[in-house]
Amino acid sequence: MNNKNILIKQILYLVLPVISVLLLIVLWFFASSVNRVLVPTPGDVIDRFVKTFTNPINNQYIWGHIWASLRRVLIALFFSCSIGIPFGILIGWNKTAEATVGSLFELIRPIPPIAWLPLIVMLLGIGEIPKILIVFIGTFTPIVLNTATSIKLVDPLYLDVGKMFNANSMKLLFNIALPASMPAIFAGFRTATSGGLMVVMAAEMIGAQEGLGFIIQRGMDAFDVPLIMVGMVVIGLVGVFLAVVTNYLEKLVCHG
Amino acid sequence: MSENKIQVKNLTHAFGDLLVLDDISFNIKNEEFVCVVGPTGCGKTTFLNLLTRLIIPTSGEILIDGIPADPKIHNISFAFQEPSAFPWLTVEENIAYGMKIKKESKDVIKKRTDEVLNLLGLQKFRKQYPHQLSVSSEQRIVIGRSFAMHPDLLLMDEPYGQMDIKMRFYLEDEVIRLWKNFKSTVIFITHNIEEAIYLADKVIILTNKPAKIKEELEINIPRPRDIASKEFIEYRKYVTDQIKWW
Repeated sequence: MNNKNILIKQILYLVLPVISVLLLIVLWFFASSVNRVLVPTPGDVIDRFVKTFTNPINNQYIWGHIWASLRRVLIALFFSCSIGIPFGILIGWNKTAEATVGSLFELIRPIPPIAWLPLIVMLLGIGEIPKILIVFIGTFTPIVLNTATSIKLVDPLYLDVGKMFNANSMKLLFNIALPASMPAIFAGFRTATSGGLMVVMAAEMIGAQEGLGFIIQRGMDAFDVPLIMVGMVVIGLVGVFLAVVTNYLEKLVCHG
Repeated sequence: MSENKIQVKNLTHAFGDLLVLDDISFNIKNEEFVCVVGPTGCGKTTFLNLLTRLIIPTSGEILIDGIPADPKIHNISFAFQEPSAFPWLTVEENIAYGMKIKKESKDVIKKRTDEVLNLLGLQKFRKQYPHQLSVSSEQRIVIGRSFAMHPDLLLMDEPYGQMDIKMRFYLEDEVIRLWKNFKSTVIFITHNIEEAIYLADKVIILTNKPAKIKEELEINIPRPRDIASKEFIEYRKYVTDQIKWW
């Protein structure tokens, strides 16, 4: 009797997600039946997606647009890591740095990256650099924050082990504090990746000629709702792809 | 050089007005295994921190080979109460870590790491990470790491406090094996009297705070010791009577 109940529950938990997705699709079809121009059917969206491989949008196939967005995020991530991790280490490890540059960072940090957009566009125009700069601002914060916090909170026991072996402070930092912080730094990197995608969308909606944000914007201008949805779905898939890559990297680097 | 490896002279320490250690003096011979027993909170941890020079005593001095103890000159090793193996290093990297900091040659590191792994019976797990092993194995790695340093003085702060009785007996035999192999001088802190008498050449009994030495007791039982033997039980009774902190 009891076993049977457990079995029923197990089956239920397998089936319920499928039912939820099906329900969403049914709802979608229903909405399409009411107004197909504003809410295209899933079939329309798939058709539009297939067309992006043969009919270029602003001289670019879908791959070109995916690459444009991805490239901006990756370049920004590269700079936020190569500047943000050392910066985070500095303010996490050194009390003086924390009090000086750290407090400046704390002051600027609460400004959402998208709020920088108008200022940066007015200062630097609508080229490639201002877009990457915006994404950089969005990805820099979580990386610095996670790095600094985890360096600050390294288990003192591990540092005592190092001190006992008479390790100097450089060794304490690079042999102990940094490896101990790797999981948290990766968590920051993950937050930065999804935040970066968010920001790149916004940046590409202002004066861009390529990118997934541009596609969505173009769909809106041309009243091409399937194209908007294609842009939304593809950016979601890019996000999944980045998450998978990040997880893989994390497994490679962290063992703890 | 005197045969006393470690000389502690009139060691006194106070945190502000709070006197923790009061005029402690004792000597430890080379390759001697000394256990320190005393009531919880009597200042054992302070005592150890003074020996590792993590804190500087209010007065008194600690000499190793006749020279004031200094982590830059002497090899002082410490096994903490909590498992302190680095989770990001493999078992063998953990054991080699201290030697790497001391810039031992590659051959020495390799040789001693193998030696420790053999004595611990952990050769199979050398490439694994600590979290893949049990907590007791993690503690064994830490103890192996300390012995591998060939320390002038090895301090252990209740390393087996968290273990069950069966594991303790096993680990106590293991620590004796390591000690005999590496010929280290050991100070082992515990509040388990049986453990102290099983392990030690000499037991130092501390009083309640401010801690003084109540007695230094040589344990003259041949090894391997039998905890059920008559003389073992007599020693245990005697030390228990000396402490009576409950």
